[in-house]
Amino acid sequence: MNARVPLTSINELLALTAQSDAVMTDTPDTVLPADLLRKFDVAGPRYTSYPTADRFVEAYGPEDHLRVLRERRTGAAAAALPLSLYVHIPFCESVCYYCACNKIVTRQHGRAAPYLQLLEREASLHTDVIGVGQPVSQLHLGGGTPTFLSDEELSELMSMLKRNFALAPGGEYSVEVDPRTVTRERLAHLAWLGFNRLSFGVQDFDPRVQKAVHRVQPFEQVASLMADARSMGFESLNVDLIYGLPLQTRESFARTLGQVQQLRPDRIALYGYAHLPDRFKPQRRIVPAELPDGSGKLNMLADSIDALREAGYVYVGMDHFALPGDALAVAKRQGRLHRNFQGYSTQPDCDLIGLGVSAISRIGASYAQNAKTMDEYEDSLRQGQLPVVRGLAMDRDDLVRRAVIMALMCQGELLFEAIEEAWLLDFKSYFAPELARLQQMAADGLVRIDESGIQVTPAGWYVVRAIAMVFDRYLQADRQRMRFSRIL
Amino acid sequence: MNTAAIAAEPRTAPLQFMPRAGARSATPPALTTLCSTCHLKDLCLPCGISAPTVERLDGLHFGRRRVAAGQPLYRAGDAFQSIYAVRSGTFKSVLGATDGREQVTGFSMAGELMGLDGLAQGRHASTAVALEDAEICAIPYDHLMELAAGNSELQRAVGKLMSREIVREHSLMMLLGSMNAEERLAAFLLNVSQRMKARGWSASEFHLRMSRAEIGSYLGMKLETVSRTFSAFVQQRLLAVDKRHIRILDLDALTRTFEARLQ
Repeated sequence: MNARVPLTSINELLALTAQSDAVMTDTPDTVLPADLLRKFDVAGPRYTSYPTADRFVEAYGPEDHLRVLRERRTGAAAAALPLSLYVHIPFCESVCYYCACNKIVTRQHGRAAPYLQLLEREASLHTDVIGVGQPVSQLHLGGGTPTFLSDEELSELMSMLKRNFALAPGGEYSVEVDPRTVTRERLAHLAWLGFNRLSFGVQDFDPRVQKAVHRVQPFEQVASLMADARSMGFESLNVDLIYGLPLQTRESFARTLGQVQQLRPDRIALYGYAHLPDRFKPQRRIVPAELPDGSGKLNMLADSIDALREAGYVYVGMDHFALPGDALAVAKRQGRLHRNFQGYSTQPDCDLIGLGVSAISRIGASYAQNAKTMDEYEDSLRQGQLPVVRGLAMDRDDLVRRAVIMALMCQGELLFEAIEEAWLLDFKSYFAPELARLQQMAADGLVRIDESGIQVTPAGWYVVRAIAMVFDRYLQADRQRMRFSRIL
Repeated sequence: MNTAAIAAEPRTAPLQFMPRAGARSATPPALTTLCSTCHLKDLCLPCGISAPTVERLDGLHFGRRRVAAGQPLYRAGDAFQSIYAVRSGTFKSVLGATDGREQVTGFSMAGELMGLDGLAQGRHASTAVALEDAEICAIPYDHLMELAAGNSELQRAVGKLMSREIVREHSLMMLLGSMNAEERLAAFLLNVSQRMKARGWSASEFHLRMSRAEIGSYLGMKLETVSRTFSAFVQQRLLAVDKRHIRILDLDALTRTFEARLQ
């Protein structure tokens, strides 16, 4: 594999894609030359929401969100779907230098107990309005480090959630696991609490890389925990990886991927590291000279896609891979993928309640984000107010574009007629500038546009972010402004 | 009644009797219609598929079935085996709410497909009830996928179906959540009008097959609010309403009502 240039490997993998995946099938000779990957594998939003969170406004506050929650109770069909819950546990014992998450680094485990009380207040502010016992079919505990909580605290959190919501049998209950904070016994406790999915933060197995990012966790430790988790019957195990970290090379990352394949997780999330030390403080401790350059990163991505494909993984979409039997891969084949703040999901586009510092909710056509600092979060709750500091009530244009972006990123297929019928507009005139911009991508073989709709080609799947960006009104407006300021 | 609709309907469906392939039980031979000759082929599954592929669909012999008004086509919890193409009539999809009330989650018309809600869990999540005497084709999902496995055109058609359903269900639901009563009802009527038009029927005059209560449940409005909003539209000379018979008098004005707050 090392000897191959990315161009060849991508060609091969696309041919494989075409044969193996029902929905993604296309002419087998479709190719994605490396220069196209270079051209379109651009930095940009991951569209876990549209509009993206950086477009939320402070004019949307607790009162607005309360009204939205109140309307949900009497609202239309959306209210009949079960809820999705996200709970943010911000604490970490030590800092990983690549981290861009909202977190609090502390060794004082005593800070968890008062936080759990705040979460309970926040949950009851919700259930006071929407009613206690609303069905929930998806729960995700993220962070920070959810396993910063002790077993007793995790039990307490779960019984608090069960007092407020009805966790439906057969739902997806997942938790992010820092392998350094758990044991076999702790995993057994998570299973006993009802979690059926685990996501292991691995990032890289190379000891030198682990040291450079300040997250040392030997392969053997992760391997033994994952074996334990399997024996306990967890339905799906996920591993998070990051390429583009300091001291990573094509060879070293290939070794990491080889080790991951031995572990055979059901899902793999492969993220590119974005070095933004101005925005994310911990990243200032990364030595820029140790970072792989752009083409090095691109090679790692191309190699990884190739290696995972060879190992039998299905490319689900942006950053995500799954074994063919995993629910995510099945949903992909059946064309019923969705997308929410946790990435791709098999759950319908249901209302989402986010609890905790910096968590984001979406109820109906509105987004709301909580305060990012513990002080602010706590102050609001002590005053009996939802800790919402920003948000957005989507207007019709936002909703149409959201539907378009989600259809492209999840089904890879957009029918003009479906959008026209649901939104009462003429697609080709409403989106004339976007369709014009898409022509270049069509010429490059990334999308196919015909009378009835737009289809993402197998090659296009690898740069689907760039395709979605064409329909992002806020992003295009930014570009207009930049062009304008250059002219001036 | 909807004489306009019937008069404007240009084609009639050819009927033929087909023996079911390898009849397994004592059930009488199912009435089937070939996709290639069906009058709904431009709306339904074969839409956009080339003639040779449509002929392959014919090989599946989709069983036709009548469903009497008020009867369920499938119930929530039933095992998912087939998707259903509506040949005639109208269906509502309902979810049982926890407090015993039913929640209408959608309406399906001729040429539209139902039952895809069962795909995720292997069981139907909702119950489909005929609002009038109706007729459906049952399309066995496994057979369809077997056929699609070797045919990229058919795969794309199935992908399109899913895409269409997801957009239809979720877009409208979210849109409704952001609108007031007048905007909701206007959006609903415009949506029905557009679907009528796609079927070659009158876009401005139609007979609603659903009750005010069912419309209210779907739109998240109280029955009184639905009736009051209909009256308001009549007063504003946007509509003429005779029970369930609707005549849109001013399509532009109705569209403006819908768009007023949304631009």
